[in-house]
Amino acid sequence: MPIQNYIWLSIALFSIGVIGVLIRRNAIVIFMCIELMLNAVNLLLVAFSKYHHDASAQIFVFFIMVVAAAEVSVGLAIIVMVYRHTKSVDVNILNRLKN
Amino acid sequence: MGIYHLLWLIPALPLLGFLILAIFGLKMPNRAIGIIGCASIGLAALLTIIIGINFLTSPPTGNFYQQTLWTWFSVHGFSPAISFYLDPVSLIFTFVVTFVSFLIHWYSTEYMRGDEGYPRFFAYMNLFVFSMLTLVLANNLLLLYLGWEGVGLCSFLLIGFWYKEQENCYAARKAFIVTRFGDTAMIIGLFLLVKNFNTLNIQDILTKAPSLWQPGATTAFWAAILLLGGALGKSAQLPLQTWLPDAMAGPTPVSALIHAATMVTAGVYLIARMHVLYELAPVVQLIVAIIGAATLLIAGFSALAQRDIKRVLAYSTISQIGYMFLALGVGAWSAAIFHFMIHAFFKGLLFLAAGAVILAMEEEHDMFKMGGLRKKMPVVFWTFLFGSGALAAIPIITAGFYSKDQILFFALASTKGSFWLWLCGFVGAFLTAIYTFRMVFVTFFGEQKKEVHRKPTNSIKIPLIILGILSLIAGFIEIPKAWGNFAPFSSLMNKVMPQVQLAAGMENKEVLLEVITGIIALLGVYLAWQFCLKSPKVLYNFKTTGLGRFIDKFFFKGFMFDQLYDIILVRPVVWLSKIDKRDFVDRIYEAIGNLGLLLNKIFSRTQNGYLRWYVCGLVLGMAVALTIILFV
Amino acid sequence: MNALISTAVFGIFLMISGLFIKSKQAIRILAISGVVAAFVLNIIDFRQYGASATELFHGMLSVTNFGLLFIEIILGCVLVYFLLSGKDLANIGHYTGEYFALIFFILCGVVLAATYGNMLMLFLSIEIMSIPQYILAGSDKHNLKSHEASLKYFLMGAFSTGFLLMGIALLYGATGSFDITTMNLAGRPIDAMALAGIILIAFALAFKVSAAPFHFWTPDVYDGAPTVVTSFISTIVKVGGFVAFIRLFHIAFGSPDVDKHWLLVLSIITAATLIIGNVTAVFQQSVKRMLAYSSISQAGFMLFAVIAMNVLSWQGILLYAAAYSLATIGCFAILMKMKDYTYDGYNGLAQKQPLLALMNTIFLFSLVGIPATAGFLAKYFVLSAAVEKGGLLWLVILAVCCAAISAFYYFRLIWAMYFKAGDCQVEEHAITPAFKSVLALTALLVIILGVWPGLILAWI
Repeated sequence: MPIQNYIWLSIALFSIGVIGVLIRRNAIVIFMCIELMLNAVNLLLVAFSKYHHDASAQIFVFFIMVVAAAEVSVGLAIIVMVYRHTKSVDVNILNRLKN
Repeated sequence: MGIYHLLWLIPALPLLGFLILAIFGLKMPNRAIGIIGCASIGLAALLTIIIGINFLTSPPTGNFYQQTLWTWFSVHGFSPAISFYLDPVSLIFTFVVTFVSFLIHWYSTEYMRGDEGYPRFFAYMNLFVFSMLTLVLANNLLLLYLGWEGVGLCSFLLIGFWYKEQENCYAARKAFIVTRFGDTAMIIGLFLLVKNFNTLNIQDILTKAPSLWQPGATTAFWAAILLLGGALGKSAQLPLQTWLPDAMAGPTPVSALIHAATMVTAGVYLIARMHVLYELAPVVQLIVAIIGAATLLIAGFSALAQRDIKRVLAYSTISQIGYMFLALGVGAWSAAIFHFMIHAFFKGLLFLAAGAVILAMEEEHDMFKMGGLRKKMPVVFWTFLFGSGALAAIPIITAGFYSKDQILFFALASTKGSFWLWLCGFVGAFLTAIYTFRMVFVTFFGEQKKEVHRKPTNSIKIPLIILGILSLIAGFIEIPKAWGNFAPFSSLMNKVMPQVQLAAGMENKEVLLEVITGIIALLGVYLAWQFCLKSPKVLYNFKTTGLGRFIDKFFFKGFMFDQLYDIILVRPVVWLSKIDKRDFVDRIYEAIGNLGLLLNKIFSRTQNGYLRWYVCGLVLGMAVALTIILFV
Repeated sequence: MNALISTAVFGIFLMISGLFIKSKQAIRILAISGVVAAFVLNIIDFRQYGASATELFHGMLSVTNFGLLFIEIILGCVLVYFLLSGKDLANIGHYTGEYFALIFFILCGVVLAATYGNMLMLFLSIEIMSIPQYILAGSDKHNLKSHEASLKYFLMGAFSTGFLLMGIALLYGATGSFDITTMNLAGRPIDAMALAGIILIAFALAFKVSAAPFHFWTPDVYDGAPTVVTSFISTIVKVGGFVAFIRLFHIAFGSPDVDKHWLLVLSIITAATLIIGNVTAVFQQSVKRMLAYSSISQAGFMLFAVIAMNVLSWQGILLYAAAYSLATIGCFAILMKMKDYTYDGYNGLAQKQPLLALMNTIFLFSLVGIPATAGFLAKYFVLSAAVEKGGLLWLVILAVCCAAISAFYYFRLIWAMYFKAGDCQVEEHAITPAFKSVLALTALLVIILGVWPGLILAWI
C-alpha cells in the first residue's frame, strides 16, 4: 500500500480526535479523544518507520505509550478529584476562573 | 601603578555612603550620619590627593590612566564601558569636587543640625558627589550623561529640600525644567555622535574627529552646538541662566557645593573635555565666547541690584562661569580650568560664610537688614573678605586676580580673541568689584541692625579658614608669564590640552593689561565704599528718580528674562493649551485609548472560563496559521 | 550531565524522604541543599563542554556551554525561589516531600530542554516539565479553583502534546530522522508535510510558552493554581519551554531557506502575544491575574529571540531568563505575603513595609524595562537581535509600544503602594529578616545584571 493511505488514515483519526475534544463535554470522553489523537500519531510513526526502514520511530512509539500511561494516571486522578467536588465530569461546570 | 587601581574607589566611596544613609539613615543617630557622610567624602578626597601626588610626581605614560571596570553591553559594535579616565583635567576636577565637598559636608554637620531632614540631606549630598565624580571621571559620554543627569536630579532634590514651602518646590521644578532644555539638546548631540562614530568613548571620538570632519564641517557644528546646549543649561549661561538665582531656595551648603563650586561648572568641563570638537567648529567656539561675555555682563549688572545676599552670589556665579566660557571660547582651556578651581574655592567660601551669617541672622537673607557684623563674627568677616577679594580680583594678594587676569589677557591676545571680548570681560571685572564690595560693606560694616543668634562653631570656622587661605594663595601656582616663568598649573594642563595661540605682538602687553585691570578692580572697591558706606544718599537719590527706579528694577529682576520667557514661552503655551483643550491630536490618543478599551473588552470576553471555548480558539488559530503557511 | 542526574536522583530521593521525614523544615532544607548541589555539580560540568556541541547517549543529548549556562541560571533562580517561597511551597498541603520532588522532576525536564539533541528527548522534556505541573496546579486540594486550573491545564496540555507528536511524526516522515542536527532541512526542497510538521511543533511549543492564540489556559491556570506554584510555573518552566523552542528552531529549522516559511506565522504570533498580553493586563483587578497576563506579554518579548536567530538572541534569552525569572519570583514572593491579592490590597504598603515596597518597585522596574535593571538589557538584546535580523522593524516598534503599555499596569501597582492611602494587610509573621534579606539580594542581583550583564554573558 502506498504511504499516502496511512497518512490520510492517521490524519483522519487525528481529526476525529480533535473534533471530539471540541464537541464533547464529558471530561473523560475528551480525554479519550486525546488518546485517539496520540494513537493516530503512533500509527503514523509506525508507518513511516516501515517506509524509511528505520526502527527509531518504533522506539518512539513505545515512549509515547509510556508517557501516555503516565498522563492517564495523572489525568484520571485529576478528574476524580474534580468529580469528588462537583459530582460531575462536565467541563462546562468549570468556569469559576475567568476574567 | 599600584595606587591608580584604586581610582574606582573615589566615586564608589560616596556611593557607599549614600547607600548606607539611604537604607539605614532613618534609624541612625545624627552624629553617625554626619560621620558617615563626611568620612565617605573625606576618604575619597584623601585618595584623590594621594593619587594626585602620584600623578604629579611620576605621571603615567601618555599622561592618562584609564581604568575599565567592565563593559556594560556590546551590541552591533557599540559597547559602552564602565570606565574611568584620569588625566590632568579630570584630576583637577576630581580634586576640587572631593576636597570642596568634604569641607562643605563638614560645614553642613553643623549647619543642618536640628533639621528633621538630616539623614536625607546627607544621603542626597553623597549621591550628588558620586554623580559629580562619575561625570568628571567618565571615559565615555554615556557614563558622563549618567552623572550629568544624576547631578541634575540631586540639584532638583536639594533645591526643594525644604519641600513643605511651595516656593522651594517651584524653584526646584524651574531648575529641573530649564536645564531640561539643555539636556535634550545634549542627548540629541550624543545620538549624533553615536551615529557618526558608533562609539561614545570620549578619547576615541577626540582622536577620530579630526580625520572624519574638516574644520568647519556642518556635522561638527551641530555636534558641538548641541553639546553646548547641555553645557549652557547646566552652567546657567545665557539664555538658560534663569534657574540659578531661584535655586538659592535650597540650604546654603547646597548652594555652595552644587550651585557654585561643582555642578554648575559641569558645562565648562564638558566643553573642555570635548575641546577637539570645538576646535573643529570655530563658529561654535566663537558663540561660546560671545555667550560667556554677554552672560558675565548681564549677570554682573543684575548682581548690582540684588538685596538677598545669596542672590548676589548666585548672579556672581553666573558671571564668573561666563568668564570661564569666555576663556573656553578663545581657546584658553587651561585658563578656564584654572579659574574654575579658584572660583570653587572662593565661591564655596563666600556661600559658606554667607550661610554662617544667615544662620546667625535667623534665616534673614536681606543684607540690608544685617550690617555691622565685622566685630561680632570676626572669623566669618575675614574669610568673607578674603573670598570677596578673590572674587573682585584684588591685585597680587588674591588668587582670583591670577585666574581672572589670565582670562582677560587671553581674551584680547588669543588669535580667537578680540578687543570687544576683552572689553566685556574688563567691564565685568569692574562690576564684580563693585557688587562684591557692596555686599561686604553692607553686610559687615555700618551699624548693626540685628542681633547675632548663633555663633559659628569650629565645624563652620575651620572649613572657612581653609578655603579662605586657599582663596589667597592658590593663585601662586600660575604666575603671569611677564613676571616669571612659574606656571605649573598650565604646564600640567598643556600636557593634554592645546596651548593658546597668541596673536602677533601681544606677548608684551600683559603687564599693561594687569595694571589696568588691577586699577579698575580697586576703583570698583572704592566706588562701592563711596556709595554704600560713605554716602549712600547719592545712590538712594538716584534710585528714586524714574530712570533710576527702572534701572534698579530691571537689574533686580535679572534683565527681565523670567518675564520675557513668561511672555514668549509660558503664556503662549498655556494659551494654546487652553484654547485647544480638545484638538485632533488628543482625539487620536483618545481613539487609541478607546481602541485599547474595546480590545480589552473583547479579549476579556474570550477569557470566559469555558475549556471548550479555549480549545476552539486554539484550533482556530492553528487552522488560520496552517492556511497561511501552506497556501499563501 | 551532572545536572540531569543530580536533579533526577534528588527528585526520587525527596519523594521517598517524604515517607520518613515528617518535618517540613527538614525537607525544605534538604531541597535547598539539593539545588545547591546541582548548582555546584553543574559548574564542575561546565568546564568540560565548549561552544560546539558534544553528543551524549548516542546523540540523544547535545551539550553546549550555552545549555549548561542556561541550566546554571535556572538552578540559580530555583535557589532564589526556594529561599523566598520554600515555606509557602511546603505549606500547600501535607505532602511536602512530593511537592519538592515534583519541582525537581520539572527541573530535570528543563535540563533536558536545554540539552536535547533528538526529537524524542524534546518530547520527553516537554512531558517531564508538564505532568508534574498538572499535579502542582491542583495541589491545593480544598480549593475547587485549583482543581479547575489543574483539569483545564491537563486537558489542554495533553491536547497540545498531541499536536507536538503529530508534528514530529510528519517531520520524521519528511526527513527520516529524529536527530535535530541531521534532520536539518537546509538545501532540500520542503514539502507540505515537513512544513506542516514544523508548524505543528511550533504550535505545541507556543502553547507551552503561552503565546497567543494558544494562551487561553494561562490566566486561568495561573490564577487558580496556588500562588507559590504559579510563581514557579510562570517563570522557570516558561523559560524552560523557551529554551526548547529556541534550540529547535535555531538548530533544526534555522537555515534561511527554511525560516522564510515559518517566519511570518511566528511574527504574527509574536505580535498577537504582545498585544493580547498587554491590552488584557491593563484592567485586571487582581495582581495575580495581572502577573499572569504580564507573563504572556513577556513571552511576546522572548519570542523575539526565537524569530531573530543570531548571537544576540542567544545572549538575549539568557539575560531574559534571568531577568524575568528573578523579577517575577520576587513579585510573587511579595504577593504571597499579602492577604488581599487585588491592587487595592497593596494600598499603603510603602508605609507599612517600606523595604518590601522598594524591592517590589525594583522588580516591576525590571519587568517594564527601566534602564539599569536587568529587564532593560534583556529587552534591549532581544529587540536588537530582531533589528539585526532585518525585516522585523514593524514588530520591534510594536514591541516598544507594548512595553510602554506595560508600564501602565506595572506602575499602577507602584502607585498603589506609594501614593494611595490604605491599610494593606500583610502576613507580618511571615516577613522575617531572612526573607527580607534574600529579597534585597534578589533585587540587588536584578540591578547588578542590569549594569553588568557580563556576569552571565561572559561565559558563552
